[in-house]
Amino acid sequence: MSGSPSAAPRTHAPVLEAASLVRDYGPVRAVDHVSFRLGAGEFLSVFGPNGAGKTSLLRLLAGGLRPTTGEVRVSGIPLTIGDRAARGRIGILSHLSFLYGRLTARENLLFHGRLHGLEDLDSRVPDRLRDVGLERYADSRVDTLSRGTVQRLAVARALLHDPEIVLLDEPYTGLDAYAGALLQELLSALKHGGRTVVMVTHNLGRGLELADRVAIQVRGRFVFEARRAELDAGGLERSYRRAVEEGA
Amino acid sequence: MTVYLRQVAAIVRKDLLLELRTRERLAAMGGLTVLVAILFHFAIDQGLVRMQQLAAGLLWMTILFGGMLGMGRTFEMEREHGAIQGLLASPIPLDGIYLAKVISNFVLVALIEVIALAAYWLFFGFDYGGDPLLLAGVLAVATLGVVAVTTLFSAISAQTTMGQTLLPILIFPLLVPVVIFGVTATGRIFASRPAQEVEGSLYLLAAFAVLSLAAGAILFRYVVEE
Repeated sequence: MSGSPSAAPRTHAPVLEAASLVRDYGPVRAVDHVSFRLGAGEFLSVFGPNGAGKTSLLRLLAGGLRPTTGEVRVSGIPLTIGDRAARGRIGILSHLSFLYGRLTARENLLFHGRLHGLEDLDSRVPDRLRDVGLERYADSRVDTLSRGTVQRLAVARALLHDPEIVLLDEPYTGLDAYAGALLQELLSALKHGGRTVVMVTHNLGRGLELADRVAIQVRGRFVFEARRAELDAGGLERSYRRAVEEGA
Repeated sequence: MTVYLRQVAAIVRKDLLLELRTRERLAAMGGLTVLVAILFHFAIDQGLVRMQQLAAGLLWMTILFGGMLGMGRTFEMEREHGAIQGLLASPIPLDGIYLAKVISNFVLVALIEVIALAAYWLFFGFDYGGDPLLLAGVLAVATLGVVAVTTLFSAISAQTTMGQTLLPILIFPLLVPVVIFGVTATGRIFASRPAQEVEGSLYLLAAFAVLSLAAGAILFRYVVEE
């Protein structure tokens, strides 16, 4: 991709670490003692049924939600709500776009670029728009764009600042086949550029394609974890069905 | 310009651009301001009541109610598409988000004050007397205090289902000092009294503004954090 992140060194030291993360909403436990460590260039796909706590997990990893117990560490340093600098190292794509409907695609990216203190926005913004195939929509207001187009723009926003850690919540939602393939290429480039990626998705095929590791989350807990090499698509589907049935 | 100030400027610019495109808040605040001027134009017998005696109260009523109307929706635009989460996920310090919202609200309320003063001049032929710089100073520091408190509480009310209904109940008691010293100082300026008679109120208003800003900057994080 143009303007793609420069390759980060691949190391075994954890870039992103979840240490026994728990998040309760009143009596409901959304995330239940989730732990993992990911190094540079590692890609974790998390699958799970609706309400499994996947989005809460991503928000905890992004530092947008305070864990009830446990902690998130970025390069070994605990991520606290007050630690704003660490946010510059994280890019998050939520099921919400974080975009302003009455601003154009370009204005939205410029705004987010300025929030990240980026200097080269004149070249970076067109590059990111090109990466997601939205050059011709640069001056269109977001509230005039289709859902899939907004999702592509949200991807551009999440990756604008070349984050070391990329957190994706159902990134394929609303995308047509072309846009889905474009996103797959982008994610592949991120992975090979040494970025650490956590992706939450219902799409077993897409999730497995790029993953180095997979996890299935049910009722907040990781009930199944495996390395990509240990699994094929059929095996993942069987494991997923079994995990969901046992958790139901 | 430091990164922090550029981040703050980015939010201010975005807020004002959105307001310029929609005019949602400005239309509501400006409409109320002009409506108050028209109503009082017909309600007051200017042969019996001197406008000089009413103007300060009228102006502050407009600032408070008009300001409430607009500032209560400060965080509405951030709820669309989860934009507030985008702000919180960015590296800008939380007090920077608060400061930016205070600045953009200050600009809006200052505009309303200009509209109010112009409307009183138009409808009542009001002579503002006094020192215009002193009037601008009093209005600026008092507005800063009002905006600092209201911005913080609009962030609180945005997270409740009661929303804007709750806002006046929460903030009017806190704004009593601004109302008392603001009306007093403005009334004295309109009456062309010496600047020394205004200084005391001006200092108290400035102290209130500084304390409110500091408290808002510290407390804002506890409001927006989950």
